[in-house]
Amino acid sequence: MASDYLLELTDIEAGYGRAALVLRGLTVQVPPAQIVCLVGPNGAGKSTVLKVASGMLVPRSGRIVVDGADVTGKGPQQLLRAGLSHVLQGHSVFKEMTVGENVNLGAFSVRDPRHVAERLDFVKSLFPLVADRWDALAGALSGGQQKQVEFARSLMVDPKVVLLDEPSMGLDPKATAIIFEQVVRMRDAGTAVLLVEQNARRALESADVGLVLDLGRVHISGPARQLLDDPKLGELYLGGRPRTSATERQPS
Amino acid sequence: MRNASDTATTSASGSPTVVRVIRGVQVLAVVAAAIGVLVFPQTGPGPFIMSVGVVILSYACMATGWNFVGGFTGYISLGHAAFTGLGGYLVGLLILRADVPSWIALVLAAVIVAVLSIPIGFASLRVRGASFVIMSLALVLIMLLIFQSWSDVTGGSNGLRVPRPFGPEVLRPEQHERFYYLHVLLLVIMLVAWWAIDRSRFGAGLKAIREDEDKAQSLGIPTFGYKLSVYVISAFFTALAGGLYALWFGFLDPIFQFSILTGSYMVLMSLLGGIRSLFGPALGAAIVGYAIEFFKAQYGDTQFHLVALGLLLGLVVLFMPEGILPSLGRLLDRLRPSATSIREESAEELANKRAVLVGDNGGAS
Repeated sequence: MASDYLLELTDIEAGYGRAALVLRGLTVQVPPAQIVCLVGPNGAGKSTVLKVASGMLVPRSGRIVVDGADVTGKGPQQLLRAGLSHVLQGHSVFKEMTVGENVNLGAFSVRDPRHVAERLDFVKSLFPLVADRWDALAGALSGGQQKQVEFARSLMVDPKVVLLDEPSMGLDPKATAIIFEQVVRMRDAGTAVLLVEQNARRALESADVGLVLDLGRVHISGPARQLLDDPKLGELYLGGRPRTSATERQPS
Repeated sequence: MRNASDTATTSASGSPTVVRVIRGVQVLAVVAAAIGVLVFPQTGPGPFIMSVGVVILSYACMATGWNFVGGFTGYISLGHAAFTGLGGYLVGLLILRADVPSWIALVLAAVIVAVLSIPIGFASLRVRGASFVIMSLALVLIMLLIFQSWSDVTGGSNGLRVPRPFGPEVLRPEQHERFYYLHVLLLVIMLVAWWAIDRSRFGAGLKAIREDEDKAQSLGIPTFGYKLSVYVISAFFTALAGGLYALWFGFLDPIFQFSILTGSYMVLMSLLGGIRSLFGPALGAAIVGYAIEFFKAQYGDTQFHLVALGLLLGLVVLFMPEGILPSLGRLLDRLRPSATSIREESAEELANKRAVLVGDNGGAS
C-alpha cells in the first residue's frame, strides 16, 4: 500500500502507567519535505506524540506507519532504523564531548563508513557551525549552537522524518530565529520535520502544516498560514490577540 | 540567499608548535615513568621495598581493571573486591583441588569469574547511581559470607594456602622480582586494552552512556549490552589481578580478600588519578599504595592509614573532582592560545542574519 505520507500515526491512544490516557485517538500525517507543527496548550499531549513516534512510549492502540512500513510496537532503536530521528527537549548534546564526537555519535547505528562520510559532508554544509567548531567541547557552545549540533547529529542517520521537541526552549529571540531558520533549511534539504512547539506563533510562521492539539486529539488542522490568520484560533491557542496582517512580523 | 548566514570556516585550534610541545611533554612523562618502573628492581631496593613495589603494582592492576567499568560508563562499583577475591580463591582452589598448573589456573580462574559476572552484571546494571553502588557492596558481603562459611572447600576463616608457582630453589627476593615483572606485564596488557576500547566505536558508545544513558539510547546505542560487555571485561581483568596477587602472596583470608576496603581503594585510586585518563588509576595506585605502605610502616598496625586516606579522598573530591591527570591537562591547555575562546559575532554579521530571516519569512508566505 503506497502512501503519500512518510509518517502516519493513526488513531493513537497512549498514556503513562495507569494514569488516564494522554492521547485519545490522535491522527497525524507527515508528508515528504514539509514541516508539520503541533501546537496546543500545556498538557495537550504534544511531547507524548513525539515519544510515541520515536518508540519511547508504546501506544495502547493505533498504528504507526513509516514510509508504508508498519512499525507499531517497535522500540527506539528499530524506529531509528526505520527513519525517525528524535531531537529531545532541552539541551541534549553530550557536553563533555567535542562537537565532532557528538555528531559522529549520531551515525552510531550506521555501519557503512562511506555512507557516514557522505552524511558528514552533507551535515557540515547544512550547518557550517559544525565544521567550524568541530574540536570544541559541545558544552562550551551557546544554547542555540548546541541545538544546531543536535540537529546535525539527528541528520547523520539520513532520517525520513526528524522529530523536534521544543527546539526553541530556553533560547533568546535571536537564537530562536536562527534555530527556526535551520529547521527550514533542513526541510529545504529534503527532510520532513514533525515539530512540537510552545512558541506556537513563531513555529507556525516556519511550518507548512499546522495541527492544533487539545485533550489528546487533533482539533484543527490546515496550512500553517491559515491557522495563523484565523483570529479565533489566535485568541484560543496562540496566546493573546491575533495579528491582522501576515506581513507584520515581530522583529524579535 | 539562505546561505548568507554561513560564516567562513575558521580553525579554532591553538598554534601547532605549542600543541606539539605539550604532546612531547606527555610522551616524555610516559616514557620516563615506564623506564623508572622497569629499572626499579635493578637498583637493589632490598626484599621489603621490592615487596612494596609488587603491592603497588597489584593495586595499579586492580584500579586499572576497575576503570573499565568506572571510567567508561561512570558506574561506580565499590564491590570489585568480589572479583579480585574470587579470582584469587579460584586460582588457589584450582591448583589445590584440581591439580591445574598455576599459570593455567590463573587464566582459567579469570575466565570463570568473567562468566560468573554475566548474571551479576545482568542484575546490578539495571539500576543506576546509589542503587548500583549498594548492589556492588552487597556482592562483596555475600562473597565474604560464602567463603567464610563454606569452610570444607575454602578453608573458611583459617584461610587458604596457595602453592607458589616457582620451585623452592627460587628464593624470596628473586620471587618478588619475578612477580614484579609479571604485574608490569599484566598492567601493560590492561592499558593496551583500555586504550584500544577508548579509541573504538564501542568506547564512543560507552562514553555516551557515561554522560547520559537516555540520550545514548535515543541515538541507537545498545546501552545495556554495552554496559554488560564492559562489566564482564572489567571483571576478567580484575580477577587476573586478584589471581596474580594470590600466587605471589600465597595466602588468602576471606576477611581481606572480600573486604569493602579493597574495593574502596580501587575507587579512591582511580578518582585520584582521573577515571577518564588511561594512566589515571595507575598513577592514583602509586600514590595511594605508597601512602598505605608508608603509614603502615610508620604507625604499625593502627587504623591511622585509613584516617589519612579518608582525608585524601575528601581533598580530591573538593579540589580535583576530575583527578590529577585531567587537572594537569587543563593546566597545560591554558598555554594553548585561544583554544577554547568562543567566536563572537560582529554587529554586522547579526544585521546580515536578520535581513536574511526577514527576507525568508516574507518569501515563505
